[in-house]
Amino acid sequence: MNPALRQFLLRHGGVVRLGVVVLLLIGWEIAARWFVDPMFISPPSRVLLSLGTVWHTSGVPAALRLTLFELAAAFAIAVAIGLTVGLAVGLQPFARHSLMPIILLLYGLPQITILPLFILYFGIGPASKIAFGVTHGMFPIMIAIVAGVQNLKPILLVSARSMGASRWQILRWVIFPHMIPSLFAGMRLGMSGALLGVLLAELYVSTNGIGHFTTMFTENFDPTKLFGLVAILAAMAIVLNEIVRRAETRFSRWR
Amino acid sequence: MARRGERASSLGSRAVQVGFLLGILALWYLATNRWGVNRLLLPNPIAVWQQLLDVLKSGEYLPDLRITLTELVAAFALSMTLGTIVGFFVSRTRYTIRVFDPLFAGIYSIPIILFLPLYVLFFGLGPASKIALGATISFFPIVMSTIAGFGNVDRTLVTAAKSMGASDYQLFRYVLVPAALPVILSGLRMGFTIALLAIIGSEVIASLAGLGHHIVQLAEGMDMARMFAYIAFVVMIAALLNAAVSFLEARGRRRI
Amino acid sequence: MTTRDAAVRIKGVSHQFGEAGETQYVRALSDTSLDIARGELLCLIGPSGCGKSTLLNVIGGLMTPSSGTVEVAGKPVRGPMPQDIAFVFQENALFPWNTVVENVRLGMLFLGVPKSEHEARAKQSLEAVGLAEFANHYPSQLSGGMRQRAALARALALKTDILLMDEPFGALDEQTRMILGEDLSVLLSQTEKTIVFVTHSLGEAVFLADRVAVFSARPGTIKKIIRVDEPHPRKPEFITSEKFAALRNELYALLHDEIRKTVAESARAAEGS
Repeated sequence: MNPALRQFLLRHGGVVRLGVVVLLLIGWEIAARWFVDPMFISPPSRVLLSLGTVWHTSGVPAALRLTLFELAAAFAIAVAIGLTVGLAVGLQPFARHSLMPIILLLYGLPQITILPLFILYFGIGPASKIAFGVTHGMFPIMIAIVAGVQNLKPILLVSARSMGASRWQILRWVIFPHMIPSLFAGMRLGMSGALLGVLLAELYVSTNGIGHFTTMFTENFDPTKLFGLVAILAAMAIVLNEIVRRAETRFSRWR
Repeated sequence: MARRGERASSLGSRAVQVGFLLGILALWYLATNRWGVNRLLLPNPIAVWQQLLDVLKSGEYLPDLRITLTELVAAFALSMTLGTIVGFFVSRTRYTIRVFDPLFAGIYSIPIILFLPLYVLFFGLGPASKIALGATISFFPIVMSTIAGFGNVDRTLVTAAKSMGASDYQLFRYVLVPAALPVILSGLRMGFTIALLAIIGSEVIASLAGLGHHIVQLAEGMDMARMFAYIAFVVMIAALLNAAVSFLEARGRRRI
Repeated sequence: MTTRDAAVRIKGVSHQFGEAGETQYVRALSDTSLDIARGELLCLIGPSGCGKSTLLNVIGGLMTPSSGTVEVAGKPVRGPMPQDIAFVFQENALFPWNTVVENVRLGMLFLGVPKSEHEARAKQSLEAVGLAEFANHYPSQLSGGMRQRAALARALALKTDILLMDEPFGALDEQTRMILGEDLSVLLSQTEKTIVFVTHSLGEAVFLADRVAVFSARPGTIKKIIRVDEPHPRKPEFITSEKFAALRNELYALLHDEIRKTVAESARAAEGS
């Protein structure tokens, strides 16, 4: 291999990664065109070209907007609950010793088993999706905040108190800033959780959300549109993840 | 003095936890029996308990359990084999690690459950789609922990072994594997747990059989008490399986 | 020195890391030549980064030099030669999941020593280093000094003619170093191994070595070779003798400027980056 090319590839691993992805896409293309029944798989070229059709399928943009709304609502509520409970439990050692095991226990439960219950209670509309997203998203945030508050070095509290800070001032100027990186780490996990919860609920039953369309495309054996929709959703998930990750890095700089 | 204080506080915490549990049960009982909450929303806890005993006694869970466990074992076997093999080969050079590890991490950051409709389209509603999804999702923690395990073997150990004339096979068997095993085992445990979740999840969403599907059936039949009982049963099974796997992981680590 | 007496012949060895012009370019060793006699203990001493560990790795076949050749027992070195050369590293070289005796046996397995000899050899080398009672302990249960004894036992069990030791006592405290140094001297008077020993410690070099090769600052080359005429096993009284002090002072004089040079160089490098 040309040594200059070799050096370039060695330095830019991202290019090779892209190459691997391209290779996989090519493999997918070949398999879909010549080897597999077109009822089940669609080649990426066709999927790409028909993205426009997917977008223009009546109801799809609205469904995407609805899902984003569900996600935003679920995330906001999860942060609110996670933050309050996390602070309440984290700041009080007795509360932490008693309640943390309960929180961890609840977090470890396979929540998917009670998804039908959520639908029964909240209906088949957006409310159940939001609720399921909240229960998935709030635990990582709680746990991260408790951890963040816990590893505050006592010496910082002591020196603040020695300078005459009131309880409120300590909370505002010492505990809160210290906890922010953990908050963002928790929010990153909370975002994945909320997204997972909303998606699970959507895929289970949906009248106007994207779950409705995935079911429709599946039942109509329309792999092209299905792949297209899934690709759009995957792209959304990546972008959201990246946004939260960047926010986390930016706010954790002092660590 | 500190000791007594500690013990008192841990007793106190225990008391709060037990009290919490009892409180929930009490509220549940009162809600259905005294406060007239609709039985179609919240079944009587006593009825749930009776249904649970009935489920266990009748063994009606057996066919579903068999299906779910088969799917789980098949999915995990697939992801374990592929994950460890791919992970080992990626770990061989720093460059391949640098290229592939972020790729795996990136894909894993998407909720892979999104691909369930694709798998259902391709494999149908039967066990195959669940196995495929379970294998796909659990592949990632396994491959990444294998890469980490083999990739982080202390270089001095490898150098020492080579200086003593170890063959490639001896190096693999007596140095790389024991060094990497703790990390790999924990990755396998994570993979197993997540495969179980993925499989039950896909049974709930799109399936004709299996534990998850049974819960949905009971929900659609509005048989609330039995559904609650079945949910409790499935949660117990999941907890048992996870405990078993954690135990195995700890055993594997102690051997090393 | 005739070919028969020289266990190791080093001819014109230079080594650099990276390509000229790159940021990671380092000329570690520059045109080093040396003959090491059979049965002698040679110390390599010098400031940090002067290439002494690099030279050791080159001798042992763990590294191929950019230029120059090394001959061991008359054969050119092209890779690890476990039949002829055993290593003792600074730390972390014991397999943490094996007991001491399992570590020793594993070394023999790698070398290809027949299984029938494993038990006898292991017993012998563990007794030689004084670890016979700790054969079934794990490295994590041992102190740093004992771990290095175990590493030495593993190397001894291989019964090679040449032993290469890269700052083997570097991670230990002063007192442990003293004891281990004395024990090493006793051990070596009983065998006829050729030993090359890298160290930072002036006292250690004078106490253990038959000859001390003093390295210059990077790019390292041998500045001077000092001979220590004192029979093995070296007694503890040697340390307090005038001969010892004189040799140590000579080493100090040779090294001091090189060390200052190295420190100035790294300060310059830190500023520039």
